[in-house]
Amino acid sequence: MARQRGGFLVVEGCFHCRNRISFFSEEPVPPVDDYREGEHFWSHLGNFQASKFDLRCEKCGLEVALPEVMSLLLCLKCNPQCGVHKAGAESGHPGAWVYAALCANTSHAGGACVSEMGLRALNEYFNQDLHDPGKKILIVPCRLRPFVDTCEGVVLADVGLTDLY
Amino acid sequence: MNVTEVMNGAGLKAFTPVGTREIKGVYISDMVSDIIGIGEGLLLVTLQTHKNLIAAANLVDVAGIVFARGKTPGEDVVALAHKAGIALLGFDGDTWTLAKTLYELGIR
Repeated sequence: MARQRGGFLVVEGCFHCRNRISFFSEEPVPPVDDYREGEHFWSHLGNFQASKFDLRCEKCGLEVALPEVMSLLLCLKCNPQCGVHKAGAESGHPGAWVYAALCANTSHAGGACVSEMGLRALNEYFNQDLHDPGKKILIVPCRLRPFVDTCEGVVLADVGLTDLY
Repeated sequence: MNVTEVMNGAGLKAFTPVGTREIKGVYISDMVSDIIGIGEGLLLVTLQTHKNLIAAANLVDVAGIVFARGKTPGEDVVALAHKAGIALLGFDGDTWTLAKTLYELGIR
């Protein structure tokens, strides 16, 4: 893992087109202002402390930047019709834990998502040192998830820190 | 030293089956965003009992999690950890006392 840095995962929504977008803010205080952008009016829906990182191969030195990856989400298999759920079921690996790599284009209105190279690097990195040979981490693009608002997956971000005490 | 030996040596209580996985070290953090880069086989000490923690701990393949200060995870958190084969343990004292205890047990 390379260039790990902390910040905030910020989620915004447009109440005209109902789309969701996300971005990673490294500012001390994440922006929360609503703003107009063309036909969209983006409203702040929430922000959570999270971390962003790139990957570097320790053997060959190859670096894979992951600018489009906002966070990872553990699939809890809430919807058998969801592509993320199906990816795990179709992996042929009973010990697979499926995580979706979340890109900024949350509703995928523009079609873009996490790159194939990024996904390959993420899968190699998180599977390289697993203790149990029967376990597998499967990381898939979030574009496989049809509905963001009904997804029960667990985002790897800090929520509830103020509930600690 | 494995997880069961640490549990017995430090007087920890178990929320899940514990097993005998070897512990390679200890990491202390309450932030999910912090632990995403740690190595496998570590014992994670935390106050955080959210499901997000289990999702991250499973990804980085920790050997176990100890909740300090008597924190108790919810049933859904225990169930997810059990399914992931992650040992969940509890310690009534504070994190510093637990850190000293783990060091005295020989974990480095």
